[in-house]
Amino acid sequence: MTFGMANLVHTASSTLAQAGFPEPMSTPALAHYLFLSAVLFVIGMVGFVTRRNLIIMFLCTELMFQAAGLALIAFSRFHLHHTGQTFVIFVLTIAAAEAALALALVVLLFRKKDSLSGEEWREMQG
Amino acid sequence: MGSCPGVTASCGEHSGRVVEQLTHPFLLFLGLAFGGVGLCLALPRKRVNPQVIGAVLGGLGIGIVLLGMGLKNPEQLPNYNFYIFGIIAAGSALRVITHPRPVYAALYFILTILASCGLYLILSAEFMAFALVIVYAGAILITYLFVIMLATQAPSEDQLESLAEYDVESRSPVVAAVTGFVLLAALTTMFFKGSTTLEAPPAIQPDALLAQMPNKVTPEKVMRSLEREGAVVEGESFVALDPEAGTVTVLGLEGERTVAIPADLGVKNVEAVGFDLLNEHPGSIEIAGVVLLMAMLGATVLSRKQVEFEEEAKLRQSRALSAEGGVFGDKEVRP
Repeated sequence: MTFGMANLVHTASSTLAQAGFPEPMSTPALAHYLFLSAVLFVIGMVGFVTRRNLIIMFLCTELMFQAAGLALIAFSRFHLHHTGQTFVIFVLTIAAAEAALALALVVLLFRKKDSLSGEEWREMQG
Repeated sequence: MGSCPGVTASCGEHSGRVVEQLTHPFLLFLGLAFGGVGLCLALPRKRVNPQVIGAVLGGLGIGIVLLGMGLKNPEQLPNYNFYIFGIIAAGSALRVITHPRPVYAALYFILTILASCGLYLILSAEFMAFALVIVYAGAILITYLFVIMLATQAPSEDQLESLAEYDVESRSPVVAAVTGFVLLAALTTMFFKGSTTLEAPPAIQPDALLAQMPNKVTPEKVMRSLEREGAVVEGESFVALDPEAGTVTVLGLEGERTVAIPADLGVKNVEAVGFDLLNEHPGSIEIAGVVLLMAMLGATVLSRKQVEFEEEAKLRQSRALSAEGGVFGDKEVRP
């Protein structure tokens, strides 16, 4: 068959997917995804509060973005509506912009004090 | 709702309340308490560092909650791949915040990304899964790795295994873990036992989208795919396409007849997401472009080195260079 690769991909995706897209996902399955998303969010939040390395703190914000994206995609699948997936594109955009700015700031701060510790900057209290 | 294809037991509550997804709330709080203690133990500490015990306890806590959810509705479990990818995602996320070395934390974050790509695939969001690999694992995390390598002091020769003090000791792990897991308990109780009504937008049928994409279903394309499928014979011609009913009307020798819309004409995930993006949120794309441009400018301005532009400084620099013997340092040429 000339479409062997396409068939392979199709089989793989149909074993991965819950069902074909028009079949609705059940509420208990949605609850599983929301729970996992909440766990990822809390891990990211705890990491942001406890870690003292500036780079790891920003990695933890990315973890929270991930959790939000997972919840959006799960709801998109639950409601059979694509707007949830579209919003993940905007989440990715904001994450990229945030990473660029945050990392530029980290490089700047590292040049000033030669350390990545967030507590070096505790005199900045606005 | 109205559009509820293949009415099942789950479909009745499709737009309704998300209630009672757990056998008992006590089980939820027990699991979360285990998780909190585990996370607290796993956070880096200077003296005793029971990270393995913490990870096991945390996994046990999450396992208890998942088991409780699974036992409540054993016939409506998610795909079994959910458990594999979910465990990988949560475990590597734990490692991101507990690993003392930033490079390893970033690598574990890539693992979290890949696991959530698996979850996206299960949720039939193929485009976002691959976009996530390209944008996150490919671009953002590489930037992080660059910055980690730029902004970390090189260890001295005699102590290669040295870690910075701020990486070894975490800041008030007990308070953070308690706060975090109280938040998690509140969130999960909300959606396991909450009483909010989910107002669902009307579900989108892939065939219904075809009606809004006239360029995708020109008569030639429809007939070509029908012939490839073997649904029509030579000499039949296209009459009409009815996306609502999912049929194509063709005119043959024995008069008109209807056949099903060929499978390869159906709207795929990429097309549907792109259509939704451009059709529903055209202004947001412009704003996203502006945000990215501003971030690029801001990053460039923030991270550039301070350069002295004054003529005086340039003169001083050139004089210093010539005093040392020019740029190339060949002293013989100097008069």
